[in-house]
Amino acid sequence: MEKRATFSNKFLPYLLVAPQLAITLIFFYWPASQAVKESFFIQDAFGTTSSFVGLENYRTLFADPYYFHSMGVTAVFAIAVTAASLSIALLLAVQADRGIRGKMAYQTLLVWPYAVAPAVAGVIWIFLFQPSLGYFAHLVRALGVDWNPLLDGNQAMTLVVIAAMWKQISYNFLFFLAGLQAIPKSLIEAAAIDGARPTRRFWTIVFPLLSPTTFFLVVVNIVYVFFDTLGLIDAVTGGGPAKATETLVYKVFQDGKLGGDLGGSNAQSVILMIIVIVLTSIQFRYVERKVTY
Amino acid sequence: MASVLLDRVFKTYPGGFTAVKGVSFAVPDGGFCVLVGPSGCGKSTLLRMIAGLETISDGAISIGDRVVNKVEPMDRDIAMVFQNYALYPHMSVYDNMAYGLRNLKTPEPEIRARVSEAAKILELDDDMLKRKPRQLSGGQRQRVAMGRAIVRKPAVFLFDEPLSNLDAKLRVQMRIEIRKLQRRLKTTSIYVTHDQLEAMTLADMLVVMNAGRVEQVGAPLELYERPASVFVAGFLGSPPMNFLDGIVEKPGRVRLTGGGELAYDAAHFGPPLGAEVKAGVRPERVTFSNDGSGLPFALELVEELGLGQLVHGRVAGGDFTVALPASHNAPSGEAQHLAIPADAVHLFDTKTGARL
Ligand SMILES: Nc1ncnc2c1ncn2[C@@H]1O[C@H](COP(=O)(O)OP(=O)(O)O)[C@@H](O)[C@H]1O
Ligand SMILES: [Mg+2]
Repeated sequence: MEKRATFSNKFLPYLLVAPQLAITLIFFYWPASQAVKESFFIQDAFGTTSSFVGLENYRTLFADPYYFHSMGVTAVFAIAVTAASLSIALLLAVQADRGIRGKMAYQTLLVWPYAVAPAVAGVIWIFLFQPSLGYFAHLVRALGVDWNPLLDGNQAMTLVVIAAMWKQISYNFLFFLAGLQAIPKSLIEAAAIDGARPTRRFWTIVFPLLSPTTFFLVVVNIVYVFFDTLGLIDAVTGGGPAKATETLVYKVFQDGKLGGDLGGSNAQSVILMIIVIVLTSIQFRYVERKVTY
Repeated sequence: MASVLLDRVFKTYPGGFTAVKGVSFAVPDGGFCVLVGPSGCGKSTLLRMIAGLETISDGAISIGDRVVNKVEPMDRDIAMVFQNYALYPHMSVYDNMAYGLRNLKTPEPEIRARVSEAAKILELDDDMLKRKPRQLSGGQRQRVAMGRAIVRKPAVFLFDEPLSNLDAKLRVQMRIEIRKLQRRLKTTSIYVTHDQLEAMTLADMLVVMNAGRVEQVGAPLELYERPASVFVAGFLGSPPMNFLDGIVEKPGRVRLTGGGELAYDAAHFGPPLGAEVKAGVRPERVTFSNDGSGLPFALELVEELGLGQLVHGRVAGGDFTVALPASHNAPSGEAQHLAIPADAVHLFDTKTGARL
């Protein structure tokens, strides 16, 4: 049975949630509704007048081959970053978990460099791969690769994937480690007695028990890749070369701020908003149903 | 089927703490051995070493005729029931029981046959087999844990306090079922518990442990009747044995430090004259004398158990308990005298605690 708080005063609960409601209204619903509204208007070149055009902005958008290109870029980017950062984080967490279970205190301290370093490293990657000065850039070139992400779209994508991924590893690592430590040791021991070798133990016991964590992280990482990598892409590649790293969010920014196409940019924002809503609702549904065991 | 042999087994944990200090004993094929001792005495450590979950610091453990010190748990032909059951929460009861057989690549039809056989023995119905462990009661989970152990038909069962998470009534019921099951399967079993009653009732062979060492090995009644040390004497039996300090005055007689005399059977105990001794007397071997002879007993409290009575009081300056069967009436009045037969008195060396 759940215990519920009861209020004797009818208005008190509304009063208590009022600040939160106000913040949500001012900083989320208001801009969101503005974006929806603006997406039905076109501004003139000087931004002085705007006229209602209905679905014209959306029609233009879906006729724009670059928009679909950008969707593809986003999908590749999201899948690559999520898959890579989750697997690397899980691998590190499994190692750390083993160490901690074996030898206690001082290895707990070892978690910190694991956890903190990648965030710092994200920035360092950018320097390391900088074509003219970066150390790795030299190294890669010495290996015979013509390293120039400023001209080669695939290399640019690799670079932003690596930079974005490193920032996520530490976050994912901590969640995986917590998830691993929550699995009772006796389950693993029972499986060992039951004849499962370490690899099989991992895939039949540990990994399924981690699935709620994994699913949560997949959604969080996709949302991160969709929306939180704007600054990173701007700093590393500027969406180029030839739009090879222009994700949906970067395109909103590019078209709206730099291109001055506010209507089109707002239409893109609305579509992005719909994507988030869908992702989040899948997460809620799925977490409630399947992932729990 | 296999015997289990421990030969001077030591365990020192990485921190430097030695939890098991030179334990040796042998469990015969098909025997039910219970390791009993107070919490922290190293029982679980020892059991986990037999299972292969802890390394062996020194000595040797053999299962059958094979030394298993370096053998992986899965290759030791054992099954273990854990205190928290350790059921796989994401698998159905059926899959929990089938897991070990699947790891051995047993054909599915045989798995089905073995699981349903085990389920029948343990009275788990088809509906329960489909459920997840969290949808079962404590007693049912316990059965599933047992089922998971028996489907593999291992040579040795290991139990680590399997009943301690159950309520008192269920514990008694499951205790009886475990014993029946073991009689039926005749699988060598090693069972860890801190509960002396559980130990006495289950064991063919009792190993009493204290602080990492074995105090005594033997049949439960043998240990109860001839405890080798003060520790064993005090640990087995409820209410526990009474102890009185004294000095051997002449053969067959102890002068108690707190005043009074106690007769013992000089044919069974041969302490040197003048030796400091602890005299042990089981509560159920004592009665109250009617004629005012015997050791004075200052009555403090009578506990009514239904099955009998416990009379608590003081003798020679120490606490003393008398257990009376239901047919006796509890004495009334504070000042009483005890009738203690000479053959009810055990003598132990005060310094070493050993039986004299
Ligand atoms: N992994 C470990 N590291 C260090 N000491 C341990 C470890 N496990 C148990 N001990 C210690 O070893 C002793 C025996 O523990 P255990 O075998 O669990 O006792 P029991 O099962 O008889 O209660 C205890 O003092 C306990 O603190
Ligand atoms: Mg224990």
